[in-house]
Amino acid sequence: MSDLDRAIAQLRACRLIPESQVRELCYKARELLIEEGNVVCVDAPVTICGDIHGQFHDLMELFRVGGDVPDTNYLFMGDFVDRGFYSLESFLLLLCLKVRYPDRITLIRGNHESRQITTVYGFYDECIRKYGSANVWRYCCEVFDYLALGALVLGASSGLEPTGPALETTSSTMSLDDSELETEVLNSRGEVTMSSYRPKQPRTDSPLLPSLSQDKSATSSTTQTPASSMPPLRSGWAGTGATGDSSGSYATGTGAVLCVHGGLSPLIDSVDKIRLIDRKQEVPHEGAMCDLLWSDPDEIDGWGLSPRGAGFLFGGDIVKHFNYKNDLSLIARAHQLVMEGYKEMFDGGIVTVWSAPNYCYRCGNVASILELGEDASNGGTVARSNGEYGRSNGGAAGAAAVTRSPGRRYRVFEAAAQDTRGMPAKKPVADYFL
Amino acid sequence: MALEVQPPSDRKRVKVYELRDNDWFDRGTGFCTGQILDDEPRIFVESEDEPNRVLLETKISKDDGYQKQQETLIVWTEPNGTDMALSFQEAEGCAVIWDFVNNVQQHLLSLAPGDALSDEIESYQSIMLPAPELGNLPEIDHIMRTSSITQAGRDALSKLVIRDEYIPKLIPLVSMAEDLESLPDLHRLCNIMKSLILLNDNTIIETVVTDPVILGVVGALEYDPEFPTHKANHRHYLADQTRYKEVVPIKDPLIRRKIRYTWRLQYLKDVVLARILDDPTFSVLNSLIFFNQVEIVNHIQSNAQFLKELFTVFDPRNADNKRKEDAVQFLHQCAVIAKNLQAPARANLFANFINHGLFAVIAFAIKHPKPPLRTTGIDLLVSLLDHDQIMMRGYMLKAVSEKKTPLTDTLIDLLHTETDLGVKNQLADAIKVLLDPQIPMPDAMARAGPEHFNKPRSNIFSDTFVQNHFDESARRLFWPLKRLENSDNLNDLTFQDVTLYSHLVDILTFFVRQHLYRSRNVIHDESLAPRVAQLLTVPQKHLKLTALKFFRTLISLQDTFYQAMMTRNNTFGLILDIVYQSMPRDNLLNSACLELFEYIKRENIKPIVLHLVEKYGEQIKNITYVDTFQTLYLRYEQLQGYGAEEADSTLYSQEEELPDQRMQANGSRWQGVKEMDAAEEEYFNTSDDEEEWQQDPQQNTAISAHPQNGAASPVVKPLVDYPDDDDEDDAMDTKAEDQTQPKQESPSQDDPSRDTTMDSSEEAPSTPVSLTIQTPPERLSEKRRREEEDDDELMKLTTGPKRRSSVNAGSGSAGLLRRKRSVSIGSLSSNEKGSTLGNTTTSAAPKRIAINLGSATVKPTDTAVDKTSNEKENRDDNHDSQGG
Repeated sequence: MSDLDRAIAQLRACRLIPESQVRELCYKARELLIEEGNVVCVDAPVTICGDIHGQFHDLMELFRVGGDVPDTNYLFMGDFVDRGFYSLESFLLLLCLKVRYPDRITLIRGNHESRQITTVYGFYDECIRKYGSANVWRYCCEVFDYLALGALVLGASSGLEPTGPALETTSSTMSLDDSELETEVLNSRGEVTMSSYRPKQPRTDSPLLPSLSQDKSATSSTTQTPASSMPPLRSGWAGTGATGDSSGSYATGTGAVLCVHGGLSPLIDSVDKIRLIDRKQEVPHEGAMCDLLWSDPDEIDGWGLSPRGAGFLFGGDIVKHFNYKNDLSLIARAHQLVMEGYKEMFDGGIVTVWSAPNYCYRCGNVASILELGEDASNGGTVARSNGEYGRSNGGAAGAAAVTRSPGRRYRVFEAAAQDTRGMPAKKPVADYFL
Repeated sequence: MALEVQPPSDRKRVKVYELRDNDWFDRGTGFCTGQILDDEPRIFVESEDEPNRVLLETKISKDDGYQKQQETLIVWTEPNGTDMALSFQEAEGCAVIWDFVNNVQQHLLSLAPGDALSDEIESYQSIMLPAPELGNLPEIDHIMRTSSITQAGRDALSKLVIRDEYIPKLIPLVSMAEDLESLPDLHRLCNIMKSLILLNDNTIIETVVTDPVILGVVGALEYDPEFPTHKANHRHYLADQTRYKEVVPIKDPLIRRKIRYTWRLQYLKDVVLARILDDPTFSVLNSLIFFNQVEIVNHIQSNAQFLKELFTVFDPRNADNKRKEDAVQFLHQCAVIAKNLQAPARANLFANFINHGLFAVIAFAIKHPKPPLRTTGIDLLVSLLDHDQIMMRGYMLKAVSEKKTPLTDTLIDLLHTETDLGVKNQLADAIKVLLDPQIPMPDAMARAGPEHFNKPRSNIFSDTFVQNHFDESARRLFWPLKRLENSDNLNDLTFQDVTLYSHLVDILTFFVRQHLYRSRNVIHDESLAPRVAQLLTVPQKHLKLTALKFFRTLISLQDTFYQAMMTRNNTFGLILDIVYQSMPRDNLLNSACLELFEYIKRENIKPIVLHLVEKYGEQIKNITYVDTFQTLYLRYEQLQGYGAEEADSTLYSQEEELPDQRMQANGSRWQGVKEMDAAEEEYFNTSDDEEEWQQDPQQNTAISAHPQNGAASPVVKPLVDYPDDDDEDDAMDTKAEDQTQPKQESPSQDDPSRDTTMDSSEEAPSTPVSLTIQTPPERLSEKRRREEEDDDELMKLTTGPKRRSSVNAGSGSAGLLRRKRSVSIGSLSSNEKGSTLGNTTTSAAPKRIAINLGSATVKPTDTAVDKTSNEKENRDDNHDSQGG
């Protein structure tokens, strides 16, 4: 596949490939994507990324921070195009990588991967501008229709149904770790299975807080401190409910992480229901598929109307219930700008990951990616990444690697340095008659 | 001169920050007071820990840019250039100090010389720009920056700049600074130009693009201090005269100039300023461009001589092919511009073009050997179709009645032979629209432009005539599909074949959905359904999907004719084969099949359920990995009159979640549907008006509960509560009814003109918030449907229901989109408040801060500053929330 490799090299240099190659690429991608379920199952370790929005040079920065593609597994949660000036280069590169390394990179659909949105927010214009006609836009939109709607990240060695023994393994693993690590494992565990680990949570926080506030380089994490100190308080409350059930079948925990672009839908009460959607269509204006791509979490109870005009707002109770029912430890989603790059809500039941630094070249935000280690879901093995957690926690990683807890490591990064990206600009029209 | 301003008496707790090396340095926490010492108003902050230590003492001067950010932050620049910030613990304390600062400044301004005049003059005179010399650049930059902060300052500055013709005076400085290779000066000039353009004044922007000025302006803008190591090439691009192509010379110098200016404005908007444009300036640029274009287009179409010359280019005797191609491009650009014009102006333009022979041009282009030109030709055609498809169909039918080859035939032949896939795609779209004979005349009347009265209308042709033409064209169009009958082996289709078939099936699906009767003849006479069914067996999965979609659409029509057709053939057998083939895997094809059967189950489509179980019972029974098929089986048993009890127990064992009273309720309700079937079917057959379905609030739940597929399917039969719904849903349903939710909805239904935003914000509180988890607010989706009805009819016409579900609603919700944009750029939902605040600050502050730094130090970048300041602010928020 030397052609493909050449295309990748060319796109990495931010140079477009010819229209005929785009067409071929899109057809290949289609063949590949048609085989994917509406919810793709992905094994940890994987690095989860949020919105890119055509910020090509920042995407390059992302790969620099997170590791290059065949070496690191990636999951992109949609919104590759629009707003930035390099939607084509960004999306085509991701698509090339997908075709080249299908098992190494997963792309799911965002609300901007739609015909009507791209005609308003720039991708359509960019295609016309760069290729002279809307053909490339049509090919890309065709691919959008095939993109999966979500992904489920599973621990490397755990299946869909986690079992008791797996939990025990985790505990033994934890006891092998040093104290700091243990704390963090517990923190993550605690959120998964509240009842079983709740008593240990007070211990969880005391070491965690200072370590975060000491981390001078990662100022944004300080902002998160109040949030991260919240869980024990609130999970105590929620845990009460969970304790009642804990004697039942749900006492097991699993590390499954659901990734969608927007959020939950009132029509989807289980991950399996997502399977029943015929996703090959333009993003509709209502219904489950629309909600998955458009909804936002909010500090409310139950469901609320979304100010976006599509999708819904959903509260912590919804997330808690959904995660509990589906044995999820976390929902990872994108869709909303977060100045700190990521934001956990509802006792860590959901996280927003945002990967477009200095959004629209002027918002001044940082971006982040979320790394899920192999052991994230009671895999029972001490993952290679564990050592890294310790290192990055030591504060040596001045670049801005923030460790919240094992199982999830957020790498925060800034917009690409100017000298690497040149001046972002749109391509002017070549000729004009009027 | 005594100050009458009363300083605030009590002390406000505050943190003092100073910007050092791009970082907000915390000077400490203390108590802030406003004082007047020696007749000079000052702000004092005394340290909290050591009461005698003064953390800050600053004199309030009249022209310093104090800014209040968020609720608790005051930011300003000290006379020595240091950026300072006070972060108050309480919003109230901040407000008090802020009032004090404001009062003092107003007071000082009123004391300024020449104060007896009006406000406008006063602020006007308070701004003086030093002579435009290199040495004064720092001061000019500073003045522009500070006066840009307030609206009054901006107005005053704009006036001053225009009156003094300041911009042309700045231009020589650019080359001067370049000659001196003085980068700091160039950076300052760049900042000054940015400030001037962002003043957002029409006159200034118009000045900027004039001949003597433009190159200097973009020259300065090439040295962006945010990219100190880069220099752009704007002058090179704009100075290149060859970019302007003239097919037929435009003689009017005014128009020629307008064309040039418009091009420069576009370049400014898209390239030079793309990163820094704020919304107001963006819209000013856009409207300037728009008005210019209106004038240009008007000039062109009223210039008969010009048009004549233009269209004679296409004279077959003319051998200059390059010129022809350029002329096509020219017309295409006109059409693109016309899209933005108002309907009457656009109608005039197109009518004018058509009279001069636009169709011949299109015919020339779509047969051109170069694919890009074919694309352009079809684009031209599509813009005509977008504009008025009734008119276009009128022309086409006229041609038929005059025994000429209609455009459709040409297009169809091209579709069959076209090898460029992009062009093929467009051809298919154009054919869809042209052959769609569903003509809603009232809409056309509503939209009628001046051409309405003198153009051939389709209604002058009898319905039989239209039907005949449709049948004939369709026969021609679907001929390759019909040809499939004789081919047993579909395993070696060429790539071109596959593309063609998928386009044809797609068009057929569109026809079927768009109108119930018109396409029946063709489907029946040509027996197209079995041919499509054949395609279910091809190895190309996307073609399978397309074929599947066709049958899914047929099912959703709930039309006995199509149902019979599907049950007579082995269609479901083939679909079940796909399920079996893809079963262990979770993939798109599998999901699409499941969705189809889910729909049948949900809608309880009796004939199909009966057919399925009776003919494929074994197969269905054996699919157990989802409960869809088991439920279908159950439905069948219920249909056969087996007691609900039995069904209950079976179902119970499979779906533990079902409370059994639900089941019984469902069973009895279902009987009701059975009785209604005939009547409803009749109804569906006679009407595809979705709107009527909205009248019944009872149906909302179902409508919005299952909309994701074929959201456009006109028939949603929502009268049943389904046993497959999970218990929470059911509990919810009841709950909602208890709360008389439908009643709440009716006002918004009755008033479709109300804005959705209003609706959502007003109604949000009334969202039933219950502990049962799944209580989706239903109104919004419903609202959107209403909006679709009020939509731009054009969109409705150009797009089929499939696309309508998105495109049409999209057009209806252009407002929604715009709202969405503001949501995601500017403000975020309330849970994001922390970041929103930070964000709003950045959108307001960073521009200034960036400029600030530009003049202070060259090195820093705005990104870094933005980030740090944001973080700081966010942290403060946290402090506050913790403290409070």
